[in-house]
Amino acid sequence: MKPPSFILSPWFRLWVLLGAALATSAARAGEDPELAARREAVKKAFKQDVEKFVADYCVQCHADRPKAGLNLRVAVKKPGDPAFLRKWIECIANVEAHDMPPEDADQPSDEERQRFLDALSQVQYLSNRDPGPFVIRRLTKAEFGNTLRDFLGVDPSVAKDLPEEVPGEGYLNSLSPMQVEQYLGIANEAITKLSAKDEARLFGDAKTEVREIARRLARSAYRRPPTDSEIDVLAGVFDLGTKNGLDRDAALKFMLKAVLVSPQFLFITPSKDAPEGEEIVPLDDHQLASRLSYFLWATMPDAELAKLADEGRLHDPAVLKAQVKRMLASPRSRALFDGFGAQWLGLDKIATKTFDPDKFPQMTPAMREAMYEEARLFFDSIVRENRSVVTFVNGDYTYLNATLAPIYGMEKQVKGAAMEKVSLTDTNRGGILTMPGVLATTSFPTRTSPVIRGVWVLEQVLGEHVPPAPPNVPALEKQDQKTIAGLTLRQRTELHRTEAVCANCHKILDPIGFGLENFDAIGRWRETDESGGKVDAAGELPGGKRFSSPRELKAIIAARGNDLSRNLTEKLLAYALCRQLDGYDLIVVDQMHKTIAGDGHRMQTLISEVVTSYPFLNRRVVE
Amino acid sequence: MASNHLISRRTCLRGLGASLGLPLLETMGWAETAKGAAASKPPVRLGFMYMPHGVIMDQFWPSSPESFRTSPPPALESLRPVLDQCLLMKGISGVPITPFGSAPHALELSTWLTAALPNAAKRSQIHIAISADQIFANYYGALTALPSLELATMPQTHKENQEGLNEGYYSHCSFRSPTQAMPAEINPRNVLNRLFGKSDQGGTTTANPLDRQMLDLVIGGAKDLRRKLPHGDQQKLDEYLDSVRSVERRIAAIESRQKDAALEKAGVASSQRKASDSPTIEVKIPEGDKRSEYMQVMCDLTILAFQTDTTRVSTYIGSTPNGVSYPELGFSDTHHSPTHHNNEAEKVRKVAAITKFNIDQFAYMVKKMATLREGDGTLLDNCLMMWGSGLEDGNKHTRENLPFIIAGKGGGSVETGRFLDNVKGNQGDLLTTLLGCAGVPLDRPIGIATKEITEIRKA
Repeated sequence: MKPPSFILSPWFRLWVLLGAALATSAARAGEDPELAARREAVKKAFKQDVEKFVADYCVQCHADRPKAGLNLRVAVKKPGDPAFLRKWIECIANVEAHDMPPEDADQPSDEERQRFLDALSQVQYLSNRDPGPFVIRRLTKAEFGNTLRDFLGVDPSVAKDLPEEVPGEGYLNSLSPMQVEQYLGIANEAITKLSAKDEARLFGDAKTEVREIARRLARSAYRRPPTDSEIDVLAGVFDLGTKNGLDRDAALKFMLKAVLVSPQFLFITPSKDAPEGEEIVPLDDHQLASRLSYFLWATMPDAELAKLADEGRLHDPAVLKAQVKRMLASPRSRALFDGFGAQWLGLDKIATKTFDPDKFPQMTPAMREAMYEEARLFFDSIVRENRSVVTFVNGDYTYLNATLAPIYGMEKQVKGAAMEKVSLTDTNRGGILTMPGVLATTSFPTRTSPVIRGVWVLEQVLGEHVPPAPPNVPALEKQDQKTIAGLTLRQRTELHRTEAVCANCHKILDPIGFGLENFDAIGRWRETDESGGKVDAAGELPGGKRFSSPRELKAIIAARGNDLSRNLTEKLLAYALCRQLDGYDLIVVDQMHKTIAGDGHRMQTLISEVVTSYPFLNRRVVE
Repeated sequence: MASNHLISRRTCLRGLGASLGLPLLETMGWAETAKGAAASKPPVRLGFMYMPHGVIMDQFWPSSPESFRTSPPPALESLRPVLDQCLLMKGISGVPITPFGSAPHALELSTWLTAALPNAAKRSQIHIAISADQIFANYYGALTALPSLELATMPQTHKENQEGLNEGYYSHCSFRSPTQAMPAEINPRNVLNRLFGKSDQGGTTTANPLDRQMLDLVIGGAKDLRRKLPHGDQQKLDEYLDSVRSVERRIAAIESRQKDAALEKAGVASSQRKASDSPTIEVKIPEGDKRSEYMQVMCDLTILAFQTDTTRVSTYIGSTPNGVSYPELGFSDTHHSPTHHNNEAEKVRKVAAITKFNIDQFAYMVKKMATLREGDGTLLDNCLMMWGSGLEDGNKHTRENLPFIIAGKGGGSVETGRFLDNVKGNQGDLLTTLLGCAGVPLDRPIGIATKEITEIRKA
């Protein structure tokens, strides 16, 4: 991906921090006095508490010959530059964990450190207003299959042989010729599977004009009105077919094949040129319909969305919100879990993760499937019933079948093969923290990992940034066997923490994981761990919150509903935009979060806020 | 984009007097024919096969140059019959991975054929360097149906974020440009069907010449769209269109192969192959899920691709870091876990077994190549097959003496049957040398390379 160019014209530089996030065009943007004041305050704090700190403690290493590629001398001069935002976030994590400045360097006082962190955590307020570019992207495998289903009426499994995407920003792995060949093969297969009914729907009757058919096919498949030259190309393919002896029906199918391998089908592309001279423009309505549809349904817009786009009504926030409600109620919105929820909770890994077959013979394909379904149905219930996102942590119900019930010790209550909703009376259970699928994917193949579970809760649930482990730390596996004989995993992990390089982070991470040690590597309740020693699930979180059981840990995390909902907002916005969030996006998230918190952190409100947000509706014209 | 390439594909094509849109294959045998020289010498083919996590060193390195062939180390036992056609070198160092110290595994594969580090400022994106196989493909790729072949026997979807590096770094070794990772094909049936036009029941699927013309129209029709897009998006579109062009070429290749087959049936010798050349091998897709069979069918497909001149360069990622498990070896550990063995005997045994297992599959491939006649020698004689790992010692993540095995004489450019126990050089030097032996002129060394390792070459 080409890095976005942030060289903005001078007049634009003056247009900083304009307006509420809902503004749909540059014209509506007016200076919001509250934001402007905040920006001034942040600027001042940055000057006082960050610049000096950097000069005193950082530039010795992070300047002209920058260690870790980090040149803070340059960064402090352009605090709002999006290029540095990720760096600042890393700085916060490292300084907060006392990893930086390193032990052998001069140390700031606790007050200096805190002031630095406080000032830096506001740095996004120095960013320029920017919705980010709309980067064209290829449909993912799942989206491609779903789109074929909706366009042609074929089973989405027709795309099953396409390779999986490499996760990461915007799914940017390239295509090998072999894969393009697969697209051609899939197109052939899909066309042979067309039902007579769908054929009639797509091709009309014998009297329908070929150009009219081409226009209709392209309108659906390209998700926007085709240009005349695009129609010419398709009509040309039809002619090529008939000249080579194909009858009308075969030539129409040949034309359809051309549609299916066209980049206009495989990529989500704009319908209109951006107006000359504009730097920020609203998405065109068809682009917006596609963005919305692929976000919530992982497929092409349906007739209603397409109609609204044709009528130019999609930018109306009331229309958008009504569409979100409608779309979430449709069974297609399960795509939001398959695409987003599963990745967020780590359940996308459950099908392929390795478990020691001797220790955990229970981890059959059916069990993995049930664990995935449990998480999916739970996620789905929060979306559809418009519950507070705090339910993710403290929900008192779940979904089980006969395969999964023994993990909960509830095999007497649940006997059917189908998943059914179950109330949980054991308050140590319920919610994602103690859900077997999550506990299993955050474990090793043979045992639990309090550290991975701790990192998972901090990063995925609370949205904190945990700095990576320093290089060459010995893993638990490498501890001297004599020293650790007879120790519980908790005791071994604590021993690991006696190493100075590890202690700073692990004293934050580990207690959370210890609080979940009552659950084994596939999520069953236990009183003793692998060593035979009794599980001690007591601990303390930074800030002095103490707990002695999973139940109490859950209560502490649930009380941080604000962090949870903000984190989910950020992750969902990044998913919706198919890119990493930058500085201005974080200001937008702050604004959205006010609305979301004001409505009790309800899930549908959160989704609506994402869909009506400034970066979702607008794009920067990149050149 | 072209400026990022060592040799742009376009320049190369111009050099050979061809134009981009036209399939070259209908008129062409080996490259030499195209240039008007005598069609006698088969081309050099280059293959790379990878295993993650390093080796148990005292079971991999021969004890001395003298004893290399008579008493090879345990890891190389299966190569014994062809050791005279192999070359081992100790002293090739990997790319130093600072400032990504905590990402040894994310980088062991992605630096393997690039000999370069990701751009630290753009670490969350793919931003590294064109890999050696793709430099080769830029030079020779236009002469074959596929510019290059990428295979793997493990999905390329590792989800872990080390040092903020893009997850793609974990699982890709081949980069078409600094920003484009080449995905590998993991389904052997797809390769057989789509690449060779064969169904696994032994029949053939016929290429559709109309498809080729249709794809041409589709490419032409994307012009308007392209104009609307910003530069970065244009590149992405071009990449797709480029791939579509390769499909056109592949269809043309199958057409020409079908013509050849028909001619041969009628008693007219094919232009490409000598009558004395071995017939192309039969590839059977295994029924079960044994890892050895899965890996061997990928080896067979590589052989078939080389034998039919479908491509001249291949990469094969046996597994990506963190790895797979090897139930055939009698234990369930995934590759990574025993590599931090701390010299514990049981774990060392497991790592050694996994290493031997991987080298056994490589041996399966090169031994088969050594039995196939081609030109005046064997297929292996005209190949340079490299097996290797991105770490020396998985226990400590060291990369001072990366394990490499070269098999094949590279058309007579490489002096085999030797163990060079004190080569001074790095991964980039090695790749630079191999491309030199394969006849690719480089205008600058690869990655961190500073020189060619001249000892490799035949004096």
